[in-house]
Amino acid sequence: MKKVLVADDATFMRTSLRMMLERNGFEVAGEAENGLVAVSKYKEIKPDIVTMDITMPVCDGIKAVQMIKEFDPNAKIIMISSMGQECFVKEAILSGAKGFIVKPFKEEYVIETLSKL
Amino acid sequence: MAENMDREPMLELFIFETNQLIDQLEQALLDCEKGSGFENSINEIFRIMHTIKGSSAMMLYDNISTLAHSIEDLFFYLREERPDNVDPSKIIDIVFEGLDFIKAETAKIESGLTPDGSSEELKAKTMQYLEQLKESNPSSNNSKYESKKDSKSDNEQKYYISSDKNAQKLMTNKYEAVIFFEDGCEMENIRAFSVVHDLESIAEIVSYYPQDIMESNNSVLEIREKGFKVVFKTDLGLDEVKEILSKTVLLKDLQVYLTDDVLEGFEFNNGTSNSNNEPSLLNEDKNIVLDGMVEEPSKTFDKKLESNKAVEENNKENGKEQAKNAGKQSVISVNIAKLDRLMDLVGELVIAEAMVTQNPDLRGLVLNNFNKAARQLNKITTELQDIVMSIRMVPLSTTFQKMNRIVRDMSKKLDKSVELEIIGEETEVDKNIIERLTDPLIHLIRNSIDHGIEMADERAAIGKPPTGKLILEAKNAGGEVWIIVKDDGRGLNKEKILERARENGLIFKPESELTDREIYSFIFLPGFSTKDSVTEFSGRGVGMDIVTKNIEMVGGSVHVDSTPGEGTTFSMRFPLTLAIIDGMIIAVGGNKYTIPTVSILESFKVKSEAIFEDEMGNEMIMVRGECYPIVRLHRRFRIDTEITDFSEGIMIMVEGEDKRMCIFADALLGQQQVVVKALPKYIKKVNGIAGCTLLGDGDISLILNIDEII
Repeated sequence: MKKVLVADDATFMRTSLRMMLERNGFEVAGEAENGLVAVSKYKEIKPDIVTMDITMPVCDGIKAVQMIKEFDPNAKIIMISSMGQECFVKEAILSGAKGFIVKPFKEEYVIETLSKL
Repeated sequence: MAENMDREPMLELFIFETNQLIDQLEQALLDCEKGSGFENSINEIFRIMHTIKGSSAMMLYDNISTLAHSIEDLFFYLREERPDNVDPSKIIDIVFEGLDFIKAETAKIESGLTPDGSSEELKAKTMQYLEQLKESNPSSNNSKYESKKDSKSDNEQKYYISSDKNAQKLMTNKYEAVIFFEDGCEMENIRAFSVVHDLESIAEIVSYYPQDIMESNNSVLEIREKGFKVVFKTDLGLDEVKEILSKTVLLKDLQVYLTDDVLEGFEFNNGTSNSNNEPSLLNEDKNIVLDGMVEEPSKTFDKKLESNKAVEENNKENGKEQAKNAGKQSVISVNIAKLDRLMDLVGELVIAEAMVTQNPDLRGLVLNNFNKAARQLNKITTELQDIVMSIRMVPLSTTFQKMNRIVRDMSKKLDKSVELEIIGEETEVDKNIIERLTDPLIHLIRNSIDHGIEMADERAAIGKPPTGKLILEAKNAGGEVWIIVKDDGRGLNKEKILERARENGLIFKPESELTDREIYSFIFLPGFSTKDSVTEFSGRGVGMDIVTKNIEMVGGSVHVDSTPGEGTTFSMRFPLTLAIIDGMIIAVGGNKYTIPTVSILESFKVKSEAIFEDEMGNEMIMVRGECYPIVRLHRRFRIDTEITDFSEGIMIMVEGEDKRMCIFADALLGQQQVVVKALPKYIKKVNGIAGCTLLGDGDISLILNIDEII
């Protein structure tokens, strides 16, 4: 089972995603409520995939992608974005994110995106 | 429809989190108004709206989501551009309106109703204000957040030149791929960008169409309708290319074919010279560059991050957030039903423990080791009880802080100046009580401001400070929590109350004998109101008795005291715990009763001489110079008993609200912890009985309600 780290500052979002993933055969090995926690959790659990929200307090998603990629260039990170955050997603892709999902997300798209990694 | 089924488990979490965010937002707005700086809260308000937008969109509550989005846009603009002609109070009012809408819709959702409110008007207001701001601040780059309009027309920059690195390799095959993405996957232009980005590692990109995928979102429609076309050169065979491209996420359709044709009349350049028409700036190896605009997004992005960091650091919010985040990690939210079940089980455990340690089978046996073990068991169950009880205890701060908003709204509406002082908000109270407390508190506070506190000039005329003072205080006293609402207004009008009571035939004693307290207590009776006219807030006479009902439902009581011209004080008392109490077991006839130990002052055996009768024939007893009425339990509950002589039984002095009396019973049986269970529903309420419990020896005992017996 692939291990996923879910990063988002909203408990609701993390739980939504967790439920979707667990329903579809993924293991949510950890959650993070901001970029800093995401980086430290990444080092701790070494997940197969990371879902990273863009807007988070303390340290945002883009910075976190950069830091994780520095630690592990093979890290597979999917950005969770809202409509209107196009330039941030671009930046994330240029920083090494492998793909993105747009909120509000459809379960099938989430699963397809993660499965194709 | 599958979506609806998916919503259910998330509903509670959505409601919980949204309510939390609503509270945070309200606090932030109130702080802004008090003058602690609008600037500091902009970022927080932005983020709260962003989060609400996200979760309500997931739950398909579009009226909430779109409203949150429009306020988010407004605050994004405020954050980025920092216009100087901002009117904080206007913005705060807009957000308050939005907040109230979201609150109301969430309340509907919580009650199982459809959130069908329309946020159109509010949205329009918000967007209109934003437009006004934009128009009056033309120097700023208004389009940073929105999609950039391509500054050059489509005809000019038709193609670009890829990095030199790949240009030298021999690329034998030229392909054209046409990609369609899944319907509704959104941001197709960025997905196209991602495809190109990934292709670059295995191919030399010749051209693609639409070309403005990075700087404008206009290409999205084109891609949806006609697909995204990219022409590239690579060594790989057709099948390999197809395989790689079909790994694209959310791919609906893929066509790849070898081509010699150029793409729709575009010219391609095999990378040897840059001297042709268009300036293609190469910055970094892998970057796809067009119009030199790639630098800008990064720069502005960094600037944004930096400026936000700076604001956040200078911001007390930062400290609050970090504390919140730190706190968040050591706190989890628990389903209340599970907690209730846990409480029930602990209660059962206490009973079961008593049934073991006080089992009739053990009577008369010498059980040293058993007793030692039983004491240890008791120690553990007591500690377990304490902890479970404390889990359910919640500080009153959230409830008290909510009152700030009520006071603000009411003082504005009634044009009175009122200051709310909160004392002891860290006092903890059982979660059940908190829920029952909010409505009564709101009611009492509204009453104070509406009836009690005078207009500023009236106050000044009698020498009071123009701002009325409302004190909300909580404290622990004995086994209870006291909550006090006190104002320095005009006080209750004794005459008017008496008059209204007379009219409604509520007077049960000769008027001259009524104490002030009893007169004031009339206001708690249903339908009672001395207000001649009905206002939005009061006068309908339905408020006070709801207050009493709510409080009594959780075992509490409320009293009022007042001094004309100086103010009114409402005091509410609540038991600390609802379920397990210390009780004294007494025997009357063959029955056992339990008296809550908190109510017991002392117990003693009596000599008949200390008893006498008053002028109405009531039995009284004199103890240390004070007179107390006697209640013979056997008479009160009509039980047959042989012990009717005072010298044979036992007297227990108990205290109710503010009265004391002596209860006469056959004997004291012992003290033990007792789990309060409500009387079964099929038994009508009995005056004087609070509940029942199962004792260690298997007997049932009724628990006395001291206040009702007095």
